[in-house]
Amino acid sequence: MVYYLMICRSLTYAQRSAALLERAGLSAYVQRIPKPIAREGCGYAVRVPERHLTQGLILLRREGLSPRQIYIARQDGNYEEVAL
Amino acid sequence: MIYLDCAATSLEKPSSVVRAVTRALTTMASPGRGAHSAARRAADTVFRCREAAGRLFHVEDVSRVVLTTSATHGLNIAIRTLVRPGGRVVISPYEHNAVTRTLHAIPGAAVRVALAPLFDSGALVESFRCLLAEGADAAVCTHVSNVFGYVLPLEEIAGVCREAGVPLVVDAAQSAGVLPLDFTALGAAFAAMPGHKGLYGPQGTGLLLCRDMPEPILFGGTGSDSINQAMPGDLPDRLEAGTANVPGAAGLLAGMEFVEAKGPGRLLRHERSLARRLGAGLASIPGVEVFLPPEEVRCGVVSFRLSAMDCESAAEALGAMGLALRGGLHCAPLAHRTAGTLESGTLRASFSAFSHMGHIPPLLSAVTSLQGAPGGRRAGGRR
Repeated sequence: MVYYLMICRSLTYAQRSAALLERAGLSAYVQRIPKPIAREGCGYAVRVPERHLTQGLILLRREGLSPRQIYIARQDGNYEEVAL
Repeated sequence: MIYLDCAATSLEKPSSVVRAVTRALTTMASPGRGAHSAARRAADTVFRCREAAGRLFHVEDVSRVVLTTSATHGLNIAIRTLVRPGGRVVISPYEHNAVTRTLHAIPGAAVRVALAPLFDSGALVESFRCLLAEGADAAVCTHVSNVFGYVLPLEEIAGVCREAGVPLVVDAAQSAGVLPLDFTALGAAFAAMPGHKGLYGPQGTGLLLCRDMPEPILFGGTGSDSINQAMPGDLPDRLEAGTANVPGAAGLLAGMEFVEAKGPGRLLRHERSLARRLGAGLASIPGVEVFLPPEEVRCGVVSFRLSAMDCESAAEALGAMGLALRGGLHCAPLAHRTAGTLESGTLRASFSAFSHMGHIPPLLSAVTSLQGAPGGRRAGGRR
């Protein structure tokens, strides 16, 4: 399954984002940012499956919770930033 | 022991609070510090605590619900954010030392007290209006006097502050959990409250609701943006350096859920009825002076003094009889100055959800006996 990581400003923002998506019936999982893409040293992200990304972003933007960056998780274990 | 010192702390807690604290102590690690299940449980619990506060106090963005160690902690953050050295601030005449000492420690801060006759809400609002018209950097107002249980006209004062463009700091230490506090509608810059009084959480917990962006007074790790050496610019991380009090947050969450289930309005009516009963009983004892605000602006706190004995000795004597009250100035000399009780202090009885009418007759009997005790000292006097 292809999934995306939405990089959040803080743990609480990640929790708020996940709660919002879950209330809308979307799959969302709060996790630590993988070290290779943790620009500021450490932080939290919300992992969503590809099928929930677009609707998720719309919901988050509406609530002022747009992620800082979005990464797609590659099959080879690497991450690639995608344009918001 | 009959515990009637709930304005200090609500000693009796719902059993759910005790269970929550115990569970957290044994199953939860530190939020924002790891990816394992114990850290996730802690993070989820802390987040739910913020959400519960958001519901109770009408804060939609729960990032703006900051966990503190006490109302004092929150007031320090709020006041030091808004009042710089040499700044001007207007305060109510009922403020606690958590406010006045914090202001006293700011070099050159010009503090003006909105003087008004005791329990005169109209005069108090006008006093604020007049002082704010002269210009101020901030206003600070307690919602309920911890000495007298007087409910200040907070909505009107907040309106005056909005008109004047002056940010308001609310001390909700005695009102959180019993009086409605719609933080968003109030338009205050900050509201600080303890977790361990009307919210029935453990000591060592508190909440600071933030409309404005605060300046941190504690610096350290937040589990986020670690490379950045400045404290994060976002709430709540900006104010939550160090390890969170997870058992405290768990207990506070359970306490707030208790308040939600009971309903603050119902809790207020309960405490008011006890205050009414106690006030009437005390007033009927010769030599007892009771300081009761009008019923509609009263919470579950009753201050009184005895002619036969000073308040500290009386509190000690009552303690020996199994009645836990507090005597003295209650860390609020300004309130006592307003009431003319600065020299004598007062005895204070204060209630919670766990107080009941059966607690009143023993206290009245005890006070009656103290008033009749031979060799008692006059209230406020010295031998």
